[in-house]
Amino acid sequence: MNTLKVTIQKSGLMRYYSQLDLVRILERAARRTDLPFAFTQGFTPRLKISFHNGLKLGVEGDILATFYFHEETSFVRLEENLLPQLPHGLILKP
Amino acid sequence: MDWAQFQKPQRYIGNEWNAVSKPHDGRLKICLCFPDLYEVGMSNLGLRIIYGLINEYESAVCERVFLPAPDLAGYLTQTGTKLFSLESKAALDTFDVVGFHLGCELNFTNFLAVLELAGIPFEPSRRRDIIVMAGGLVNPEPIAPFVDVFFLGEFEAKAEEFMEVLKRYKGREARLEAFAHIEGFYVPAYYEVATGEGGARLVPKTPSVQFPLKKVHVKDLNTSYYPTRWLTPYTQIVHDRAPIEIARGCPHHCYFCQARCVYFPYREKKTEYVLTQMEEIYASSGYENLSLLALSASHHSQIEEIIDGAGKLFKEKRVGIALPSLRVDDIVGRLYPRLAALKKVSLTLAVEAATVELREKINKHIDVDAVFEARDVLRSLRLRTIKLYFMFGLPGETDEDVVAIAQMIRSFQRALGVKVNASINIFIPKPFSRFQDVAMDSPENLRRKRQLIQKELGSFPLRRYHISFSTQERSFLEAVLSRAGREIAPVIFRAFVAGARSDSCEETFRWDIWEEAFRDEKIDFRQYTTSVHPRFNPHYTAGGAV
Repeated sequence: MNTLKVTIQKSGLMRYYSQLDLVRILERAARRTDLPFAFTQGFTPRLKISFHNGLKLGVEGDILATFYFHEETSFVRLEENLLPQLPHGLILKP
Repeated sequence: MDWAQFQKPQRYIGNEWNAVSKPHDGRLKICLCFPDLYEVGMSNLGLRIIYGLINEYESAVCERVFLPAPDLAGYLTQTGTKLFSLESKAALDTFDVVGFHLGCELNFTNFLAVLELAGIPFEPSRRRDIIVMAGGLVNPEPIAPFVDVFFLGEFEAKAEEFMEVLKRYKGREARLEAFAHIEGFYVPAYYEVATGEGGARLVPKTPSVQFPLKKVHVKDLNTSYYPTRWLTPYTQIVHDRAPIEIARGCPHHCYFCQARCVYFPYREKKTEYVLTQMEEIYASSGYENLSLLALSASHHSQIEEIIDGAGKLFKEKRVGIALPSLRVDDIVGRLYPRLAALKKVSLTLAVEAATVELREKINKHIDVDAVFEARDVLRSLRLRTIKLYFMFGLPGETDEDVVAIAQMIRSFQRALGVKVNASINIFIPKPFSRFQDVAMDSPENLRRKRQLIQKELGSFPLRRYHISFSTQERSFLEAVLSRAGREIAPVIFRAFVAGARSDSCEETFRWDIWEEAFRDEKIDFRQYTTSVHPRFNPHYTAGGAV
C-alpha cells in the first residue's frame, strides 16, 4: 500500500468542525475525485486515513495525516485533485 | 462571533458543500425554516427541493434557518440579537418570505419560538413587510391565525407562479392578495370560519379567492425539479444519506395511512432519470450512502432495472444503497438475487399489525410468513439488524392481536438470528385517511395494552431486541393538533409562552404544560380523540384520495 504523509491546515470557519467531521469531509471530498484512495475492509468501508494529532473544537492549526492509496500518488497530484473539493479553511501541505 | 461557546457549533456555520451564497442586493429573499434542530431539518427532502429550486432563479436567493438549541436561543434573547439565516447571517425579518415546513404538528411551538427569536410579530396584522408562509401541513387550521399564507401540496408545481407574484407585486398586502387567487395557496385572512350544523365551514370573504381550496401536485416526476447539486453536510445528521426519490404517492390503500392521501396520486420516476440523478448526486456530494426513496419501493414497475442499474453504477465505489420501503414478500422473492449483489441490505418492515385478521381489517396486505419460510435466504443477506414497525390501539383490535406483537418480535429474532429493533406506536386517526372518523383508543385501554406487550416480552433477553414505545400523552397531543380547528390556536400559544418546545422529543416534551394550557383556554382535549369533533372539517380536498 502506498502512503502519503500530509499536513492539513484547519483555519477560519473550519475550526468549528470536529475531528470526526473532518473524516467525513475528507472522505466525501475524496469520493468526488478519481484518485486511487484506499478504503477500509468490512461491512461499512471508510476512507483509510490516519491522524497523528488532533485539534480541539474552535482551534486553528495543523493536523498531520497519512492517506493510503492503491497506487503511487504524488503530493502534487493529491493537491491538484483534492484541494478543489475541500471547503475554504482546509488546505494541504507536503 | 465565537461559535465555540455553543454546543455543536457546526449547526450554525452554513458553509456546507453546495450551500448557495448569493449577494442579497436587488434579489428576492426567501428563507426556509424547518423548526427543529439542524440535524433533523437537514434530513428533510422537501426543504432541499425548495432550496435548490428557488436558487435556480437568478433573481432570487434562498437560505436556511433551523431552530437554535437552547444555548444559542438564550444567547440571542439575552443580547437582543435577532435570529439569522445560516448562509448570510442576515436577520430573518430582512427577507421577503420566511417559509416554514410544518409537516409535524409537534413542531408548532418551535415555529412560534422561531418567530419570537426572529422578532417577527405573531399576529399577521402587525407584520410590516415580511410574509410568513407554511407548507407540509395536512390540516393548517390550528396555526392559521399565525400564518400569512399556506401552501397546500407540492411546491414544485407552483414555484413559477410564486416567483412571479413576488416579482410583480411589492408590499405584503398586494402579494398576499395575489397568492389568494392562485390554486394551492391559502391565505387565511381571506376566509372566515362559520360554525353551524355539520361543523365548521370555511367561507371566503371575497368571492374571487380560491374556493374550495385544493392541494396541487406535480404531474410528472421525470421532468419536475430534483436537487442534484446535493447540499452535503459536514457533520452528522439524522438520516445521513442522500435520497433519490423513485416514486411519490402510494398505490396501496391501508386504512390508517395519511401519507397515501397527502402524496396522492401515485407517480413513478423512470429508471433512466433515477440513475442519472443518482450519478449526479454522487458526483456532486461524494455521499457514501444513497437511498431509493418511495412510500412503497417494491411497487415501482421498474424496480429490478433500478436496482441492477444502481448496482452497476456503484459496484466499485463502496457506496451503500438503501431500499427502505421494500415489501417483505418481494425481498424474499423476486428481488433477493439483486439485493444480494448490493452487499449491504437493511431490512425494515412495516408490519403494523401482528395478526392476519387485524391486517385484513386495516387493509394492510403483506405476507409476513414469507419471512419465516425464507429465513435461510434472509440470513445470507448480511443483515445486521432488522427494524419492525407496529401499531396498537387500532380499530377492531383484540387483546390477542396485541400480545401477538411481542410474539412476532420474538419469532423474527429467532428466525433471523439478528437484533430486532421494534417501534411500537399508538394508532392516531389522521385526517384524510380512511380511518379519519374513528375514535382513538382510550388512555386506560392503551396503557393496559402496552403492559400486555411488555409482559409478554418480559422473559426475552434485552440484548436481542430493542423496543421503543410512543409516549401516550404525546400521541394524544398529536391527535388533537392534527384534528382540531382554529379554536385551538390560543392553546398552542399558551403552551409556547409557558415554555413548551420540541414536543416531538421525549426529553423535552412537557404534558403538564399542555394540560394547563387546555384548562386555561377551557378546551377539553378529549373531545378531539373520542369522536370526530364537530369543528374538524378539512377545508380543502385531497384530490380524491380518500
